[in-house]
Amino acid sequence: MADKFGILAKFDTPADIMHAAEKVRDAGYKSWDVITPFPIHGMDAAMGLKRSWVPRFTIVGGTTGFITGMSMIFFTNAFDYKILIGGKPLFSPMFAFPVSYELTILFSAFASIAGMFILNKLPMHYHPALKVDNVAEMSDDKFFLYIETEDPQFDEDKTRSFIEGLHPVEVTDMEK
Amino acid sequence: MSAERDASLPNPTKWLMIGAVGLIIAFVGMFVDSRLASFCYLIGMLFTTSITIGMLFLVMIHHIFDAYWSTIIRRQAENFLAALPWMAVLFIPLFAITYFSGDQGTVWIWMNEDALVHGHKVADDVLYQKKTWWLNEFGPFGFWARTIISFGAWIYFARTFRRNSFSQDGDGKADHTYSSRKHAAGGLVVVALTWSMAGFDWIMSLEYHWFSTMFGVWFFANSMRAALAVLVLVAAFLVAKGPLKGVFNTKHLHDLSTLCFAFTVFWAYISFSQYFLIWNGNIPEETFWYNFREEGMWWGVSMFLVFGHFLFPFLFMLQYPLKTKFPSMVFMACWILFMQLFDIIFNVLPSLKEHHHPVDFIHQPMAILWLVASIVGGIGVLLWAYWTSYYKVKIIPIRDPRIGECLGHNH
Repeated sequence: MADKFGILAKFDTPADIMHAAEKVRDAGYKSWDVITPFPIHGMDAAMGLKRSWVPRFTIVGGTTGFITGMSMIFFTNAFDYKILIGGKPLFSPMFAFPVSYELTILFSAFASIAGMFILNKLPMHYHPALKVDNVAEMSDDKFFLYIETEDPQFDEDKTRSFIEGLHPVEVTDMEK
Repeated sequence: MSAERDASLPNPTKWLMIGAVGLIIAFVGMFVDSRLASFCYLIGMLFTTSITIGMLFLVMIHHIFDAYWSTIIRRQAENFLAALPWMAVLFIPLFAITYFSGDQGTVWIWMNEDALVHGHKVADDVLYQKKTWWLNEFGPFGFWARTIISFGAWIYFARTFRRNSFSQDGDGKADHTYSSRKHAAGGLVVVALTWSMAGFDWIMSLEYHWFSTMFGVWFFANSMRAALAVLVLVAAFLVAKGPLKGVFNTKHLHDLSTLCFAFTVFWAYISFSQYFLIWNGNIPEETFWYNFREEGMWWGVSMFLVFGHFLFPFLFMLQYPLKTKFPSMVFMACWILFMQLFDIIFNVLPSLKEHHHPVDFIHQPMAILWLVASIVGGIGVLLWAYWTSYYKVKIIPIRDPRIGECLGHNH
């Protein structure tokens, strides 16, 4: 099958898939994933996932927001159209602060959401898992794991026997 | 069965001795320079009381949310609650210095009706006259009555939570948890009000012309930061020494650090808002308080607070790896405690005036001694009460309904 995407294994319980994920991680596979109906605590470590890069987007967004707030107040009040209010200085970080910190939060939130989308390659309108017959079980009560053919270690026979060695209840091929 | 006295763990009596030495020096100070030494004593007393009240808040917040991750560390907070009656005892010298030093305005200047404030006698001061309904010493709801009511309420709640938690170790009944939850609901309201009152009375009334409705919230934020920092230190100590090793994991630490972080932001929010509203309103009867705190060395102290008490801890605890490791959090907890002390000093000491200006603290070498002695005295009593309680009870509430979940805490 030339247009094969990977091999899919089905498990019955969260514990089974957790142990299976640990073995796949230890076997050194890179292009693989787990599909579960709900988040399983500890799965990150079982899959060997590193910490997300989203916080880096957040800090960039937050810093941008803060600088935007400060410079916006400076530009409008002390530069573009000078207004003297209540004998206060034309510019002071004091009154620019509420605006800056609101923008810090707003931009951090935007950056986090955007970062999450980018890192997850969203929006993703099609994924080979959608073609699998038991796709409904993926959001119900079964737990799935697949290894892609793209993986440098992927070998039709070896990978299949490796996956069968994980004691899944069912092993199927996934089409692209 | 109680926790075994391990030779590597501190001896409570030793802490009591250290505390006693500190307190004796502080009391000597009250005879040498009664005003300065009593202000330093007030600072030491506020520092330790705010730690215990923060613990009381943490226990109540734990119960009201039916939280599970904090079950493991709640017992240490309860051990600290044992210090509350002693904090009340530590307040007695302040009463004594007011009435037996010959000047009733030694600490709270409005208590002496003949004292001069801005060139007027307190009794003739219209601002004082308008505030006498609150600022009176022996009224049925006057200063001392409020102090007694507050300490009474805190001790009552502290005893209830301790009793419930310790009896549950024995019989494992869920009733204790329900009782604690009900007490937490009422206690949060009562302690929030009484602690705000304490802030108004003990600190704000040092300079009775000034007022800020945010002051109680600032006092709350301050006590929470102190208590969380102490809990981090205690947890790290007990993990390093063994009792909590392998039980208190980095996930628990992460949650504790996150609360530290949250209250760092909360403290900044409250402190900034108070300053900002007064700056913006620009009314002399409010701004003078901050003007005094920009004079001389106090300018440096206020800048140190902005950057040291907010910006540095904020940027530090923004980082996940630093929040989940003991060495970095121990450093941060020490830093926060140190800065929290500065925050109290900043709020209390400039109210001590000489020739209408804040006392220049740095040029009074004895003042440093009184201050250090008072703090060591308070800390000594606090840790004596803590370790005494520690050896009497189990290290974690073993029959708490939530303890199982808490030990398996993994996300």
